[in-house]
Amino acid sequence: MTTVHTNEIVAAYLRRLEQAAASLPRPRRAELVAEIREHIDDALLEAGAADEVAVRNVLERLGPPEEIAAAASPPAAGTAARAGRLEVAALITLALPFVGWLVGIPLVLLSRAWVGRDKAIAAVLGLSPLLVGGLGIFVAGDSGGGEVGTPIESSSGGLGPLEVGMLSLGFLGGLVGAVYLALRLRRSAEPKELASV
Amino acid sequence: MEPGGARNSLSQLRRGAVEYCVLALLRDGERYGFELVRKLSEVDGLVTSEGTIYPLLTRLRRDRLVTTSWRESESGPPRRYYQLTDGGREALAGFTREWARFRDGVDGLLMEEGAR
Repeated sequence: MTTVHTNEIVAAYLRRLEQAAASLPRPRRAELVAEIREHIDDALLEAGAADEVAVRNVLERLGPPEEIAAAASPPAAGTAARAGRLEVAALITLALPFVGWLVGIPLVLLSRAWVGRDKAIAAVLGLSPLLVGGLGIFVAGDSGGGEVGTPIESSSGGLGPLEVGMLSLGFLGGLVGAVYLALRLRRSAEPKELASV
Repeated sequence: MEPGGARNSLSQLRRGAVEYCVLALLRDGERYGFELVRKLSEVDGLVTSEGTIYPLLTRLRRDRLVTTSWRESESGPPRRYYQLTDGGREALAGFTREWARFRDGVDGLLMEEGAR
């Protein structure tokens, strides 16, 4: 017979599973917990008993919730998601000026093929035109305002050759970011192949 | 090889092989999750934690090697049944061929080494 006590053991197990699987998307986590719950019901039905011994046996055979959650989440299992269309689109858009900020960086952040550190590096590189450009305009505005009597080139209105140079250099940031991420993809693919031999 | 290396290698081999064992169990017809898990754990040394099979089933479904459908069962509540897809059948056939080669090759070396 199922008792309050055995119900509580099962509930505690499922709560642990839910916590261990916190990194999974919500629908996936709910599905996993539901599957394990059904398994427990089926197993108890098969055992023909639902006393504490039967319940503990079923849970023991299922294994630690942390292990189940780890098997469900690719990063924890040590295998990054394989590069697909999302990653290709992210790399292409990241390399393009402006498009990279609006589309490229969000796509990179969405992807599961890169770890957080690589995403951050790519985002900073992608945004570097904004940073460099902003700095350039700030410097230009400063020097223009400081010396009123200087030649026309450094007037505060237009961008001087220095600023244009810095901006175009800055636009390379997205491209460099894309190349960096592409290299990281190849790196993460190699050890995986080795490990699966 | 560090201590526990053999155990590590075995658990990697096991992980790789279990998914094809699932496909093999579905070769002759559909089964539901609990049934698959119990069949697998009857094989000595194949499954250490039954719970880890469920994430594996999800992965097989995502890779379109199996499909699922909810169905009433003869006894008990509606259940999710797993069926092999054409892609799954192909993957199983490919693995079966490669596995035989792999097993024979490794066996050959292991036995040879043992005989010396």
